[in-house]
Amino acid sequence: MASGFVADDKEIAKRHEQMKKSSRSLPQKIADIVLIFSRLAVVVNVILMFFPSFNPARLSDLIGRNLSLFSCGVSYDSIVSNFGRAFRQGWVTEASFHKLNIFAFLIIISVIVMIGGACMSLGNTKTKKYGLIASAAGGALEIVSLVLIRSVYDEIVFTSREAGKLDKVLPQYPFINYAYYAVAAVVLVCTAITFALLIRTPSEKNFEMDPKYTLFLMMLPIIALAFVFSYLPLYGWRYAFFDYKAGETLTADKFVGLKYFLQLLQNDATKKDIVRVLRNTFAMSGLGILTSWVPMAFAIFLAEIKNGPFRRFVQTFTTIPNFISWVLVYAIAIAIFNTDGFVNTFLTNVTGTVHSTNYLMSSSHAWLKMLAWGMWKGVGWSAIIYVASISGIDQGLYEAATVDGAGRFAKMWYITVPELMPTFFVLLLMSVANILSNGMEQYLVFSNPMNKDAMQVLDLYVYNLGIGSGLIPLSTVIGMVKSFVSVVLLFGANTFSKAVRGESIV
Amino acid sequence: MAKNKEYNGSSGMVESLTPGDVVFNIINYLFFGVFTISCIFPFYYIFINTISDPGYVTSGQITLLPRGLTVQNYISMGKVNDLWNSVLITVARTILGTALMVVVSSLAGYLVTKKEMWHRQLWYRMLVITMYFNAGLIPWYLNMSMLGLTDSFAAYIIPGIVAPYNIILVKTYVESIPAEIEESAFMDGASYFTIYRKIIWPLSKPILATIAIFGAVGQWNSFQDSLILNANSPELYTLQHRLYIYLNQSSNIGAMAASGDVSEIASQLNTKIIQYTISMVTIIPILCVYPFMQRYFEKGLMLGAVKG
Repeated sequence: MASGFVADDKEIAKRHEQMKKSSRSLPQKIADIVLIFSRLAVVVNVILMFFPSFNPARLSDLIGRNLSLFSCGVSYDSIVSNFGRAFRQGWVTEASFHKLNIFAFLIIISVIVMIGGACMSLGNTKTKKYGLIASAAGGALEIVSLVLIRSVYDEIVFTSREAGKLDKVLPQYPFINYAYYAVAAVVLVCTAITFALLIRTPSEKNFEMDPKYTLFLMMLPIIALAFVFSYLPLYGWRYAFFDYKAGETLTADKFVGLKYFLQLLQNDATKKDIVRVLRNTFAMSGLGILTSWVPMAFAIFLAEIKNGPFRRFVQTFTTIPNFISWVLVYAIAIAIFNTDGFVNTFLTNVTGTVHSTNYLMSSSHAWLKMLAWGMWKGVGWSAIIYVASISGIDQGLYEAATVDGAGRFAKMWYITVPELMPTFFVLLLMSVANILSNGMEQYLVFSNPMNKDAMQVLDLYVYNLGIGSGLIPLSTVIGMVKSFVSVVLLFGANTFSKAVRGESIV
Repeated sequence: MAKNKEYNGSSGMVESLTPGDVVFNIINYLFFGVFTISCIFPFYYIFINTISDPGYVTSGQITLLPRGLTVQNYISMGKVNDLWNSVLITVARTILGTALMVVVSSLAGYLVTKKEMWHRQLWYRMLVITMYFNAGLIPWYLNMSMLGLTDSFAAYIIPGIVAPYNIILVKTYVESIPAEIEESAFMDGASYFTIYRKIIWPLSKPILATIAIFGAVGQWNSFQDSLILNANSPELYTLQHRLYIYLNQSSNIGAMAASGDVSEIASQLNTKIIQYTISMVTIIPILCVYPFMQRYFEKGLMLGAVKG
């Protein structure tokens, strides 16, 4: 009854919308198209603001290369971080840079105002008209700020020429400033056209907006954040094709094409490293996959414990290690296995002879030790999902089996295990898909000079190569290959799962 | 008998124990007992060392019981400024980061259930894909540095605000709330935001508590962002990072004596006690929230719910 009513209601709303659409006049329709360009211009403007290569406020070569317009606007200190000597010797005045900071901030304000205008342009005619005012104000403010930045540039040129230090200050007027002018101009022109088109359309009484846009605008900041932190890094893949060292700028002459991809295949030293790293990665992940049944067994045997309080006690305390960080696990490893840790202290006190073996510093069985730590940390937690599934198994099955004379192990093997198989299968496929990603934290904290050859997994290798040694292009290449392979593996696992179980895992 | 049923074991109906059962039970209890002790004992061992007299600790006389009870170790550690600094940073990021993540996840989780949204599927898929695909560590690092999020506290907070997995958990939960509740509010003219604030937020509190508690543990334990992004700003090191530094310094006591703050107290405390005490400071908050976390475990495990 209720659902039928809702469907009717939705249909009415839909018809209502269609009526509204068809009743719109031609100028309104054109205005909607023009506004799309205006919105695009605002989006471009926002993006420009965050890229250091498009910083119109970089009026001197002394201003950091990695500063975006946004950083220049919000932080004066970041602009003048290299200017200590220039200020002391009077090559430039601090006042110019305070002004620069303020004008950059004005551009940020103008962009925020334009964003407001663009959002309002999705509303009804009345909302649109107010949005136009915002867009016009924002565009005008941006142009004024750009002109003011130009005046600061002239000022810097003047003072540094007076001081005779033009070659030290290296004033420059970034070509990219004209892009900002262009964007602001597009917004202003579109606003003017829309205004002309809509001036005759009567405004409604209230500010209103189609719910689909209201919802979208509420979602927009979230989408923007996801874009900035998850999709924007893809832009960094370009470093794979350049001879790039940390802190430099990318220029076209540094383009080397596939050099670093080929190095991966041709350079003997790199190749040797990669083979070793891949062996470690596959060994550690492989051991993890080979033992992935352990949490299931843990849960099955735990269910055999009939003493409730004891079972809960076990479950509570075996889960704790999952919630401490790898650094803490390492702290525990030191406390127990170091030269003066628990094991040695205990042996010394019991046997009377001094024991001081450093179990952590040995290079033997590094893979198995890491597996053991991983197990210790994770098995209790991984078992919880199986514990939950076991409690969901129909008790009737066990009763029937008992009547048929099945023993303890028969019931485990023929009832519990098959019931847990679907969960096990999904988790197994996921771990196969993640075979290249063992994470770096565990291996980083447990690495020492003795065992580091056996510990370096792919993630840690990329970290050491890129952050530690600064070999950004090569480490980016490895990261790219890893991302591709991971995606292929995931799709493969998913396809396999669909074929076998008829259900996807992602 | 009724009691037996809730145990759900595969031999729930057995009444008399055969010798085989007895042997099985002994082995089973023994195994779980020993494993559980291995999970508790390290914490206990570190703890008794921190409350023992440093003299006993250094000469290796602490094995199973504390000796010469004292809180002096904690008081001495309190004088280490950079430790306090790390505690403050870590507490701040945990509170702020978790609060923002929960608010945004709940709003986003509600919004992606709204079919009217312009291109809803596209935005939702865009969020889901980020769980399975990333550009890699180095592009991520370069991106963060391009955005000015290196050597800054904001690097701990902003990237974690949008957490796709948590958004999906909230979405699944919101979908389970009867649609009629929302529809009736809609009929009364409530806006989407009002519905979110007055209906969705209060009703989804259980799942929000779950993601809050897991998010807080994640923030407390996070170490990589401090290590990679804020390497040049010791005043921003998180507690885990600080602990990592102290753990590595043990192998190099000379380096430790050289670093200002520590050398002063190094005479009173040896490296072992410093490590143990900081470890304890780092563990205690986790152990404190742990009892509250347990009832949220199963909700946190809604693996099957992750579907595009």
